Amino acid sequence: MMRTRDLSYWLFLAPVLLALTLVVIVPMLLGVYYSFTSWNGIVTGSFVGLENYIALFKDERFLASLWFTTKFSIVSVILINIIGLSLALIVTSKIKTSNLLRTTFFMPNLIGGLILGFIWQFIFVKVFASVGQMIGSESMQTWLATTETGFWGLVILMSWQLAGYIMVIYIAYLEGLPKEVMEAAQLDCMNAFQRFRFIVFPLVAPAFTVSMFLTLSNTFKLYDQNLSLTAGGPYNSTEMVAMEIFKTAFMQNEFAYAQAKAVIFFAIVAVVALFQVYLNKRREVEM
Amino acid sequence: MEKLNVRKGLLASLALSAGMLAACGAEEEATGAGTGEDQVTVDVFQFKVEFKDQFEKLAAQYEELNPDVNLEITTVGGGEDYGAALRSKFASGDEPAIFNIGGPQDVADWKKNLAVLSDTKAADAALDGTLEGVTVESEVLGLPYNQEGYGFIYNTRLFEEAGIDPASITDFASLEEAVKTLDSKKEELGLDAVFALPGKETWVTGLHLSNTFLAPEFDNNVLTAFDAKEVAFEYGDAFKKILDLQNDYSVQPTLSLDYSMQVEELFSMERVAIIQQGNWVYGSIAGIDQELADSGVGLLPIPVEGYEEGGIPVGVPMYWAVNSNEDEAVVEASKEFLDWMYTSEEGKTAVLEDFKFIPAYEGYDTTKLTDPLSKEIYAAAEAGNTIGWVFMGYPTGWGQDQLGASIQKYLTGEASWEEVEGAAKDAWSADRSK
Repeated sequence: MMRTRDLSYWLFLAPVLLALTLVVIVPMLLGVYYSFTSWNGIVTGSFVGLENYIALFKDERFLASLWFTTKFSIVSVILINIIGLSLALIVTSKIKTSNLLRTTFFMPNLIGGLILGFIWQFIFVKVFASVGQMIGSESMQTWLATTETGFWGLVILMSWQLAGYIMVIYIAYLEGLPKEVMEAAQLDCMNAFQRFRFIVFPLVAPAFTVSMFLTLSNTFKLYDQNLSLTAGGPYNSTEMVAMEIFKTAFMQNEFAYAQAKAVIFFAIVAVVALFQVYLNKRREVEM
Repeated sequence: MEKLNVRKGLLASLALSAGMLAACGAEEEATGAGTGEDQVTVDVFQFKVEFKDQFEKLAAQYEELNPDVNLEITTVGGGEDYGAALRSKFASGDEPAIFNIGGPQDVADWKKNLAVLSDTKAADAALDGTLEGVTVESEVLGLPYNQEGYGFIYNTRLFEEAGIDPASITDFASLEEAVKTLDSKKEELGLDAVFALPGKETWVTGLHLSNTFLAPEFDNNVLTAFDAKEVAFEYGDAFKKILDLQNDYSVQPTLSLDYSMQVEELFSMERVAIIQQGNWVYGSIAGIDQELADSGVGLLPIPVEGYEEGGIPVGVPMYWAVNSNEDEAVVEASKEFLDWMYTSEEGKTAVLEDFKFIPAYEGYDTTKLTDPLSKEIYAAAEAGNTIGWVFMGYPTGWGQDQLGASIQKYLTGEASWEEVEGAAKDAWSADRSK
């Protein structure tokens, strides 16, 4: 490439780079620096080296929230993708109301996470309890009051919200399926299940990569739905990492410690994200 | 062509960068322009959302009387949010002149930003004991907002119909008796249950209820609690008994109950007879049933078996602080405003009638207190029949996040009471030995 082109390239990039440096890179470096101090949100405090990092690996609550988040992410990713794909198959089949259904399924994704949390809280606590009272089921009346129901409450909420979004991705891939192959399959007398298993499924596989990491990053960094649905309760057992970090900072006023947790969290999310890029690239070569 | 490209790029890049910088700078100018030459601007950053409108009205009144003072009020609600917002405000350099602090921990954190308020008239007029949490080496660093108190709020009509005389409830035994009577007449009275224990709200259990049983071992003094290396749960058994009583006779499941369900849905709709809350619920109840709020409720003490069974926990929820980093003129103007609010006739009227505060200062005509809960709390405070508020002296996060969470575990049967106490003791000592 020509030198001058390089220059104008960098010049065009400069405003963005400047903005990125100011609002992302500098705060992040500062944050990393703070994680090595005893910062309490008011004064920076003394340099304490790796103390915060050592403490957090012994912090049961942090590890519990990390484990809870991981469990939640795995279950949600699987469920959301199954539901998303099923919905996509429904709305791409030849049924009359498919456009209406597409809109309806996508709708939950347009409501803010906080509001969704409160809506579902009402459903779990009030509606479930009333139904439970009617059919005389004790377990229906304790939703969100136990760790298990809190966990499943969050999973249901997230699946309901994200499935519609993931559905859109699958629709794009499903509609791009080559007609010839499908026709050939029909002529070869494959039944609907066989067509799905041996033709559709392998061909939409790239969509899995995209959807999987979209859902993974969404569920891993979850905060607002967690806050409004369970707020970490009962006894902080449904607390995800983002919320645990927030509480460490703003309820316990241990800002530097929270910062150290955030750095570790960042590292985990970064590894997941890089892994995704790697997988996507590999698949592109294959195709 | 190439040259043109470079020039275009340079121009575009410059324009964009300049635009961005201009956007950042613009705001500062705007705020700077508001300050007149002789006018003193006092930024007030406060947390009590409930009285925002009334407070702003009072500030406007003050500005009219003192044209050289300009009060800029910002309100950010809720305990946690306020602390976070205040820190960001200071970090950004846009420091308020007047802000709020909660107790000894806040005083320790903000020490270098706190102006000494010992010479204010309000500090002189503050009632005995209300300045304890904000006094360091006999220097007063904060002025109390008001007084608040809590206990068992009961529905007088339901008590009457069940044939219970509230005056006869003087200790745990008689309380338990009354609860059992109410429970046996649930059907006739139209009650879901006797209590509504909001297990979800860790501040109700972890801060308020625990305070009642921990205050005695810290001599009812917040500073003693703040300095204590450990906590013994001397009245732990009494604590457990009251918690059990509330839980056993509560609407279930208690862990799903929050403040709004407890106060608005269950108590205000007369579906439960007793709740553990404080005078701040007046507004919530009045919003649903004005008559009930004005004449249908009363307050019972939370009995601490083996100690005092008739004391009402009364304390100061929040203090005003003045930022010592501001100019001398701003600090003076801030002090004058606070003095005026709590000691002038206009101020007093507003505090009592508009804010509906239980005053933490002398010289108020307390016959003007209208709601029954405030009246009872003020009467108890005057008679000295109180238990102190020491929860502001707990280790940060201990009350709600540690003890409150353990109590939730206990309520679901996941932990025994011994485990709750044990974990709480350990966490306290661990925090204080840092």
